[in-house]
This record gives sequence, C-alpha cells and structure tokens, in this order.
Amino acid sequence: MDLFFQTLLNGLLQSGIYALVASGLALAVGVVGIVNFAHGEFLMLGAFLTWGLSTYLGVDPLVSLPLAAVAVFAVGALTYRVSIRHVLLAPELNQMLLTFGLGILLQNLALMLLGGNTRTVTTGYQGSSISLGELSVGGPKLIAFGFAAAILAGLYAVLYRTTLGRQMRAVAQNRRGSQLIGIDVDRVYLIAFGVSCGLAAVAGVLVAVLLFASPTVGLVFALKAFAIIVMAGLGNLTGVLWASVVLGVSEALVQTYVPGGGGWSDAVFFLLIFATLVFRSFRGSR
Amino acid sequence: MKKMLLTGVLLALSGAGAVKVGVLLPLSGSGSVSGQAARNGYLLALDEINRAGGVLGKPLELEFADDGSSPAKAVPEFVKLVTVDKVDFMAGGVSSATSIAISGPAKQYGTFMAWIGAAAVPVEDAFADHKYFFHYHPWSYYNFEAILGYFKTLKTQKKARNIAIAYEDGPFGSAGINDTVAAFKKAGFNVVMTEKFKTGSGNFGPIISKAKAARPDIFYWVGYDTDALPLATEIKQQNLQVGLVYGTPPSWPVGFEKNQLADNIAGLSLWLPSSPQAESRKFVAAYRKKFGNVTEEYFAPLAYVNLKTLAAAINGAGGTDKDKVAAALAATNTPTPFGPLTFSKSNKTQYQGFKAGNWLHFQFQGDSRVPVYPIKFAQKPMVWNK
Repeated sequence: MDLFFQTLLNGLLQSGIYALVASGLALAVGVVGIVNFAHGEFLMLGAFLTWGLSTYLGVDPLVSLPLAAVAVFAVGALTYRVSIRHVLLAPELNQMLLTFGLGILLQNLALMLLGGNTRTVTTGYQGSSISLGELSVGGPKLIAFGFAAAILAGLYAVLYRTTLGRQMRAVAQNRRGSQLIGIDVDRVYLIAFGVSCGLAAVAGVLVAVLLFASPTVGLVFALKAFAIIVMAGLGNLTGVLWASVVLGVSEALVQTYVPGGGGWSDAVFFLLIFATLVFRSFRGSR
Repeated sequence: MKKMLLTGVLLALSGAGAVKVGVLLPLSGSGSVSGQAARNGYLLALDEINRAGGVLGKPLELEFADDGSSPAKAVPEFVKLVTVDKVDFMAGGVSSATSIAISGPAKQYGTFMAWIGAAAVPVEDAFADHKYFFHYHPWSYYNFEAILGYFKTLKTQKKARNIAIAYEDGPFGSAGINDTVAAFKKAGFNVVMTEKFKTGSGNFGPIISKAKAARPDIFYWVGYDTDALPLATEIKQQNLQVGLVYGTPPSWPVGFEKNQLADNIAGLSLWLPSSPQAESRKFVAAYRKKFGNVTEEYFAPLAYVNLKTLAAAINGAGGTDKDKVAAALAATNTPTPFGPLTFSKSNKTQYQGFKAGNWLHFQFQGDSRVPVYPIKFAQKPMVWNK
C-alpha cells in the first residue's frame, strides 16, 4: 500500500513542474492567441541563467528565480516586439512556423555559445525530503508544486481582479472590440507574452535544480505542456493544474504498475491528448 | 601580390592529395559530453601527427560533423562526409543508435571505419560482415564481464545478493538486458527489479519507489549522463538504502563530481587521469598543455589513440588503399593510455580493440573519481553504504 501512495505522491509532485511550464504556454495561447513552439527554449534560458549564476557567482537558484523570471520576461517582450506581433494577423501556419523557427534559433544559439554538455547545479537542498511515515516528499519538487499553485492562483487573481487582467480577458475574447473601447492591445499582448516566457523561466530554474541545464532540456517539458493545455482546453488557465495532475499521476501509475512502464510513460501524454480530443468531439457532436 | 599568389599556390599544392578523415560525433544532444571530449582528443592527436610530418608527407585533414546524438541527423551527415566531402576514412561514432543507423550507407559505400564508441551488440550485428570496421571500444558484453567480476567480489566481501536494474529503453540500455539478468542470476544474484526508463525524462520517482520496495543491495543503472543527477536526487530524496549505486553512462555530467549527491556513486571507465601507465601520463601532460585543464572522460584519450593508430596505419600502408590500411591497422601493437592495443576477433566482428580487462571501476569520492577496483589500481577503499 505504501508503494501505491508513494506513486500517487510522485505523480502529484511531478505535476508541479508540468503545471509551471503549461501555465505560461496557456497564457500565450489564451491571451495572445499564438501557439508558442519556442516555449521550451524560454525554459532552457531560465535553466542556463540559473546554472550560470550558481556556477560563476554562487547565487542560490531560489534567489536567481526572480532574476531569471525578469530577464526572460524581457527576452520574451523583445521577441514579441521584433517578431511575434508581425504575424498575429497572419495564417496560423505562419505563426507556428515562426515560433518553431525561434525555438530552433534559440536552441542552436545555446549550442554555439555553451556547447552541448549537460550542466548541473549544486544546492544544499537538492536531495532534501520530508518523511511522512514510510512516504517521502522531495523538497525541490514540493517547492515546484508550491510555486505552481501560487503562480496559478496569482495569475487567476490578476486575470479576474485587476484592470490589466480584465484587459487581457477582453483582448482574448475580441481583439477588434477591445481596440474600439480604447485598450492598448499591443501593450497587453506584449505583457502577456513576456509573462508567459517569464513563467517558462521559473520552471527552467526548478528544472535546473531537479535535472540539468542543456540546450535541449526544454523539449521534453514543452511536449508535456502541449498535452496539458489540450486537456485543459486551449487557453483555460484554471484547467491547467488539474490537467497537470492527471498527466503526472497517470505517468507515475504507468511507470509503477504497467510491466515495462518506464518505456511507456512517455506515450501517456499522447494517449491523453487522443482521449481528450475524442471525448471533446463526441461531446460536441451531441 | 606575387608573394601572396605564390603562398596560395603552395598551400593549394600542399593540400592536394592530403588524406581526409571524417569524424562523426555527437557534439550536441544526449551524448555530447562524450562527443566533445572525443573532439578534443582528435584535435590533440591531429596536432601531434601534423607536427611529426603528417600522413603520407602531407598534413592530415579532419572533417568534423555533429550527429546531434540522433540517428535521423547522423545518416545525412555521414553520407555527406563520404560522398560530398569525399573523406578517405571515417572515425568517431559514440552512440549505438546512430551507428546502427549509418551501418547501411557504410556498407553501401564500403566506408573504412575506425570506430571509438557504440558498445551495443546490435551494432556488432550490423557491422559483422563489414570488412573495414575497426572497433576500439569494448562491446557491451565485455563491459558487463568487467561489472560482473566486480559484483562477484562484492558478493564475497559485502554479502551483496540482491540487484535492482534500471535501464534506458534505447539500444544502449535494452539490447543486452535479458542476457544481463540471466548472467546475474547464473552468478548467484537475485534480480529483484528490472525497470525501463526514458533517457533524459528525469522522472525517476516511481522507479526509485519500486526499488525501495524491492530492498536491493546494489542499484545498477544503464543510461546516459542526463540521467545521473535526477537519479541521484531521487535516491537521496526517497532515502533508498542501498550498499552501492553503480551506473554505466558513457560519460558523466560536467561538474557532477562536485555535487554532494554524487558521493559514493560508482561507475566504469576505461581510463582516469590518475591511470599510472606512462602513455597515460604523456597524454595528460599533452592535453593539459593544449587545453589548460585535464578531462576525466575516457573518450578523449580513446579518440586520441584512434586517430594516432589510424594515421600510423596509413603511413605503414604507404597509401590510402583500404585493404592495405586495414592490414596495417590490424597489425597494430602499441602502448596506449589504456594499456597495449592490438586487434583480435570479437563474437562477430573481425577487428576488436579493447576488451574486458581494460575497464576500471571508480567511485565518486571527495570531488573526484577514485579508482576502487581492480585492487591493483585501487587508490582508496570502496565505500559500501549498507
């Protein structure tokens, strides 16, 4: 029975990282209306910033977290200004090609500047855990889960309790109408895209602590984030947390209880995307 | 103007007819630590070869290509080196998956291959009938022979009986897993867990939970450098009580030894900078002089030996005729940082370099890799945590 509860706990904790990555992506999709295939590369920027600050300046990753968030917010805002805004009215295929290209560009820039080596960060709390009887809760994953919950709650509060949030929701619903009532749509998009990238960087900081920093580290998480936003419904921020939990726990159960499950766990998100799309189309046809 | 023209003509003439060696390496992706280390080894060897007069009286040329640790990228890079760049010989090759992928074009073009990595048995199967395939790295069954020897010692000395195995689901981890389990059982061990994982996923929580329930004496994992820290973190977080954690990645993450979670994790290496052989000391000194530091990755000296022996064989053959170079390389008998190198048959291929006896077992202790077995090379006693 301990194994079952530990498996649930493992899945729940893993879902924290997934939720962090997916919340940023959901914001970009929901507000700006663009599927950002470079989202994983913004995560990678956060991971490398953490590694750099930790290795060369001895900055603790938790201290570098706000620095990474702000720095990558700036990179995201610049990316929006230079490229994204020019394709917002273009066909979706063009938008996807642009963000896909951005991802390749960022990944290869990282390869050129930093090489392909796997870099790790050392902290005193990396192996820390809390014991609950026979069960064990990993410290960094607990922190990640806490951040994810706090950030999603914060985002929700911003969207539903502030003027900026109301503007974001208005722009998401009707770009033309929002312009007509005087909302600076371009500014709202810039902030939303920047925040989306900043959130990816926050996830990157925790990924650097839990795993490693490398030019390709973002890819695994970006794919999972796409599965989550499909499950949650495109742009549905409130659905991100439960969808992340569904993915994290499903993977853990498959890994533990399906024979050879470690090899199958990466197929879980494909299965969940498939099941979600079938369910939605079935519900829609009634 | 005349002087510049003359220099250009001379350079063009000196390059004409020069021997070109294509080097296919994972300079990015999951195998990049090994690939980057190998690249430095090749560059060091190239310097020494050309300083000593080059090959066939001309400077040797290297053409590097990045296979991105991906079979899909490896094939076009390989074909380009062979057909467009028209290299005379191919060297490199770290990943088993990429090596299997290029086996078709290699046989199609009859490419001469002096290969440093790719330990999985399916690679041996793929190149079994290729008459120009020289394999320097021990095949995985030689690696396992060395590991089994070490574990048998732990069985005697530490009463280690139960082994939990975690392996990546690519050719490197999966190919020999059934034989591995059978051999452990035959040697009197209980294999209490055998679990697959996806390399680079970093999601080891469930595997360690299962290992904890199985109560192993040894946790043995076969994967890549990207898996090392997430595994070590999860083992610590879930407080897996185990005598020894033993991993066999081709390389370890940069700076892993400085992380306290690496303490007492053991592994396998063909070479360490502290290896006592004279050739190893010479290599370390030359490497330090060129790069300002020293690497602990054995793919650097392996690549160095690879190019030096290939160049010697071309010189010995007096030309680039593949049959003559193969005959010269097959006759190699030279000291290296790993011990003497000669080629002999393996289970399926004609020219196999290093074998089980070349492996060292080390343990991360105090920020570095310390040899702990075989006893004659041990610098400190092994730490057993049970």
